[in-house]
Amino acid sequence: MKVKVISVPVLDQEKALKFYTDKLGFVKKVDVPLTADSRWLTVVSKEDQDGPEILLEPSPKHFEPAKTYQQALYEAGIPYTQFNVDNVRQEYERLVSLGINFSVKPTEMGTVIIAVFDDTCGNNIQIVEML
Amino acid sequence: MSHYQSEIIRIRNICYSNKAQIETVIGTRQYINNNFDRELNLNLLSRTRFTSKFHLLRLFKKYYGQTPKQYLTDKRIEKSKELLKNGRSVSETCFAVGFESQSSFCTLFKKRVGLTPTEFQKEQLSQSPIHFFFDTCSLNQTLKNESKSY
Repeated sequence: MKVKVISVPVLDQEKALKFYTDKLGFVKKVDVPLTADSRWLTVVSKEDQDGPEILLEPSPKHFEPAKTYQQALYEAGIPYTQFNVDNVRQEYERLVSLGINFSVKPTEMGTVIIAVFDDTCGNNIQIVEML
Repeated sequence: MSHYQSEIIRIRNICYSNKAQIETVIGTRQYINNNFDRELNLNLLSRTRFTSKFHLLRLFKKYYGQTPKQYLTDKRIEKSKELLKNGRSVSETCFAVGFESQSSFCTLFKKRVGLTPTEFQKEQLSQSPIHFFFDTCSLNQTLKNESKSY
């Protein structure tokens, strides 16, 4: 078995695609229309385009328990997932300048620095720098 | 304060209160990052941090979840993939990332990546834009030659 796809639940796929590409810098990899209001839509890291894909999955829209779970995590401030960056403080400054809100500013946690931002699609996302 | 923010504070107090230990392991990891292409062993790493090798081994595993040797291997494999993608030969890559023999490099690479370094490089180059460019050039040349012969 190999890790090829991980999913992130999103309320609006088109809005999520714009956010993950225009703001975060991911690149669209696969876009397959499925039904009138859902697509198999994945993005990948610009520096690792053959690496794992993130599936922007519209589950909160179609499956009530997924919506409940996403909301509960969001309200508790818990990240749905995390991405690694080379420098959390620089990435924080870059994303703040693009209007992105952070619930956790860059914070040292022993051997890592973390920060948490709102992806505007229903999730908190954590960025991590290994020290 | 959100639940997650209070958990960050709670976990930091439990797990990361010993600053001297954290400095030691971060320093060791950085030393490996800067010297992965040289011969490294626990004796050397412990000398750079003025600590005993068994203490360093325990600390590194406690904070990073793997031994220095496992981390070093990960680093070397990651770097070797970069070099192979950039077209460096297998033997050049092997020695550039600190392996002492090509056979141990190839065996470890196959075990970790699922392909031999040569297979990995072939797969990468067949997907690269450079390869596509050369393919397109050779196709154009073939088409030109064919049109001349008519």
